[in-house]
Amino acid sequence: MDGKSTRARRRGKTGENIKSWLIMLPGLLLMTFFVWEPLFESIRMSLYKTRNVELVRYIGLDNFISVMSKDDFLQALTNTFTYTFWSLLIGFGLPILLALLIGETRRGKGFFRTAAYLPNMLPGLAVIILWSAFFSGEKSGVLNILLGRLGVPPQSYLTNYRLVIPIIIVIATWKGAGATALIYMAGMSGINAELYEAAAIDGATVWQRVVHILLPAIRKLAGTLLILQIISVFQIMYEPMVLTKGGPDNASLSLMQLMWQYAFGGSMNYGKASAVAVIVTVILLLMTAVYSYFNRKESDWD
Amino acid sequence: MSHPQRTGVIREYDMHSPSVRAGYGVILFLCGIMVVIALFPLVWVILAGFKDLKEFVSSTSILPRSFDIQTFVTTWNQLGIAKNYLNSFISVAGSVVCALIFNGLLGYGLGILKPKGYGVVKKLVMLSLLMPTTISIVPLFMNIQKLGLGNSFLPLWLSYGANAMYVILFVQFFESLPSSIIEASRIDGCSQLQIFFRIVLPLSKPICSVVAIFAINAAWSDFLLPYLVLRGGELQTVMVRLFVFSTEQTVNADAMMRSVVFSMIPPIILFFIFQKQLTENSVSVGIKG
Amino acid sequence: MNRLLKNVSLVLVLCLLFAALPAGMAEGAVDPDLTCTITLGNWPADTAPEAEKALFEGYKATMARLYPNVTLVPDYYSYTLSNYVPMAKGNTAPSIFQPPFTDPQLLISQHLVGDVTDALEAYGVLDKFSPSYVEMLADENGRIYGLPRDGYVLGMHINIDLFRQAGLIDEEGLPIYPKTLQEMAEYGQIIREKTGKAGLVFPASETYGGWLFTNIAWNFGCVGDSALEYQDEDGRWVCNFTSPECVKAMEFMRDLKWKYDILNADATTTDWAGAHSLLGTGEAAMNFAADDSVDQPTANKGLPVEDFALIPFPAGEAGRYALAGGTCYMFAPNITKDQGIALMAYLQVIGKLPFLNDEIIAGMRADYAAKRDRGAPVLPAISAWTDEEYNAAKQAIVDEYCNVDMRLYRDFFDSLSEGTITLKSEEPVFAQQLYRELTAVIQRMITREGADVMKALQKAQDSFQEYLDDEINDY
Repeated sequence: MDGKSTRARRRGKTGENIKSWLIMLPGLLLMTFFVWEPLFESIRMSLYKTRNVELVRYIGLDNFISVMSKDDFLQALTNTFTYTFWSLLIGFGLPILLALLIGETRRGKGFFRTAAYLPNMLPGLAVIILWSAFFSGEKSGVLNILLGRLGVPPQSYLTNYRLVIPIIIVIATWKGAGATALIYMAGMSGINAELYEAAAIDGATVWQRVVHILLPAIRKLAGTLLILQIISVFQIMYEPMVLTKGGPDNASLSLMQLMWQYAFGGSMNYGKASAVAVIVTVILLLMTAVYSYFNRKESDWD
Repeated sequence: MSHPQRTGVIREYDMHSPSVRAGYGVILFLCGIMVVIALFPLVWVILAGFKDLKEFVSSTSILPRSFDIQTFVTTWNQLGIAKNYLNSFISVAGSVVCALIFNGLLGYGLGILKPKGYGVVKKLVMLSLLMPTTISIVPLFMNIQKLGLGNSFLPLWLSYGANAMYVILFVQFFESLPSSIIEASRIDGCSQLQIFFRIVLPLSKPICSVVAIFAINAAWSDFLLPYLVLRGGELQTVMVRLFVFSTEQTVNADAMMRSVVFSMIPPIILFFIFQKQLTENSVSVGIKG
Repeated sequence: MNRLLKNVSLVLVLCLLFAALPAGMAEGAVDPDLTCTITLGNWPADTAPEAEKALFEGYKATMARLYPNVTLVPDYYSYTLSNYVPMAKGNTAPSIFQPPFTDPQLLISQHLVGDVTDALEAYGVLDKFSPSYVEMLADENGRIYGLPRDGYVLGMHINIDLFRQAGLIDEEGLPIYPKTLQEMAEYGQIIREKTGKAGLVFPASETYGGWLFTNIAWNFGCVGDSALEYQDEDGRWVCNFTSPECVKAMEFMRDLKWKYDILNADATTTDWAGAHSLLGTGEAAMNFAADDSVDQPTANKGLPVEDFALIPFPAGEAGRYALAGGTCYMFAPNITKDQGIALMAYLQVIGKLPFLNDEIIAGMRADYAAKRDRGAPVLPAISAWTDEEYNAAKQAIVDEYCNVDMRLYRDFFDSLSEGTITLKSEEPVFAQQLYRELTAVIQRMITREGADVMKALQKAQDSFQEYLDDEINDY
């Protein structure tokens, strides 16, 4: 090949590379300003004693030690796992069930789909405020009104330390389950109908078809959605913040809410807030790593 | 008229079996319950909006005493929600534009141009997908203050130009475009930007509409960063206002419920306009994402 | 006719009083050519009521007339600790803003606010400060960083209708109200039994519960050697929640739920406004609240003024205290001397310094007339100044607009003027954090039957002590 033209092409290639980077530059700058630099700054701040927005001095892991040695951290950590537990219990299977049910309807499927998705469109904050009236412990609380019709005396919900977390998860599930169900429905509609036909001819009941054909087919999707759900519920913050302020007695305090409290809740300790943020990040990364490890293993078997 | 191939587990001939037919009845019944649970809270909050404070706090009836639309009008005027609506619309409009342009261009770079070293950036973007945005809200807010961008829409608009999820959605879509078209236009001497605007964008309507709808909804619902950036000022959006109501307790519970209704109207309208895209397109996008 | 005469004579008296006031004393202190720019926080937003906007535009016009070279920049800023700090650091804080009395000491210790001592001296008002405010708004060297905007004293709001239904009413139709915390618990029980409504609404969310609890604790004896917070010989801040007095006070809180059962259903999520809602709509009979929020249950939540009373904070077995606090004006850390003077001039124009003039009087009248029209009780304000003439003149205007049966308020105001109740300002350092810790304990007490008081208080004490060590002791 002629050396000259290779060089020209290489030069052309370099020019094109530069142009491409220039096209990406605005987006990269924004990502840097809004995502990467603040994240880096968070990590840096977590290693400093801060006074308001200033870094006073480097203190190594002292913020982490101080934050983690406090009772409310342990409580928030436990609570966050409790949130995750309830979220999986209430919120993981329900979308699959909904998808299955809606998927089997022969008429009105569009309507059911619409109804299921609608709550997901509503602003999260509005949803929380709306539901706070449902779970009011007064006689005028919506749930108490409904129970009253059945002759049940008024109950307290948000002041019950055993109930607050499940209640918040119920609200989050009400908002999100329908949308997740539609993702499952799309996954289920990708299953070749001939598989069902063949199984039916072999005498498999409807239930057997669900267990042996449908569920295995969505297993991978379910795995992905599971990890996404865990990641998202781990960051739960404004729901308890608005609904219970983390109470009663920190029974619904989440890790991210603890971070917000350190930063904006009066003590304005940004160093410790950042330490909590970094801890949450590390936990999330660990969980993702574990997930992708198992996921890879599974793919190997396939 | 021929039906498209049905996808459900229950096949046509199963319906001859009485037990399957009964099971199908149960399915319809459960779907009905789901509809009630999904819609009742919405209906209820509208009904609650007709109550006055005393009724809202004391009454043990779901239905209000009267259906006077004037209660809504009064609250709308008293709280000056129109102004907040306008702010929200401005905030949403700028956010959508930024979301499409900046994430789109970055996605174009990572999905089609792929210049030398793009892999690192792509990994970084993927990784930021896992990072909750609230984690870095403290330093971000400080940066915004340092640049003197407080009390302005600009940082909010631009923040939608830096959304890892939208970038990934664009990348995945662009990667699925047939490379032959792009190659052909490159040979025709189109510059990279020309290719983007003349070839790629027209092909990308589905992904653009999905990102736009996501961005509209997210920008409308967002309140944490907007609350910090817009302070207590003139530019407060509807959701910031609602958050302020819920923390500063300046509004009575009944007016609060009406404010909740106001905050839900635009998303619901949006939903019914883009119902199909939302329940079909975004779902298929969601699967890949 | 009689009333009219009374009013006319009042006005006459007032006029005489004002003629005697040292008019314009302060204005002389300011050079009319003073040139600078000041930004004013808490300016009413576009959405504020027209009257309020007009009022502030009026202030602006007056300033422009008196000091044409002082530029006023309206800022809609409303203070919260979280939004203020970055602004102070970034030099973008408005020249004047309004924090609650819990924050000045924190802001002063962190050098986030400006010194106005010289400006106050120039105005000749330095010595008219109520001493407790001087203490709250100054640093250890006596330099002053803030001015009181309005003060309040904690007492108790009463829904008379529920007292009536429970038979707690005397021949004159006045409520028989609790004088002590013990009576409060017992009366609450009677009300609960007779009406099915909550005897007491206790807003135990976030920091409110702890805030109210400090007052209860003082009345159980958590003062002096048993104070919740004090500075030891070495100057170290120490907290003490485990004194026998504090334990008793917390046991009392627990009993309100489990022994007397007089609390509202959702106490742990009830906030300040929620508490006023419940009292105002007749779902609760008593609410610990201050004189400056009497418009809440009445005008805002619909309770007719004749069904509303304000009583002194019930006494405990070891004391009779009432928490006094309020909102103050503070200033940006970077204000210049000229800006300081201009800000004082502005504060005088809006009537926050102890000087009265026609405009201020007109403003007060408009304010009281508006209150009366809204159905809010028109009551005397508790003055943050010790200037007698000024205080008497203000009282006379209040009397003109009074729309309530003062018998329903007499004990409250008498307890202040006669000194039968001791005013006490909030705990000196990091009060908000202290409230947060104590609120958590209260929440535990009222949501878990048989919770261990000592253990929970010990935990809160350890946690708050660590906070104090972190924030001031080891600084």
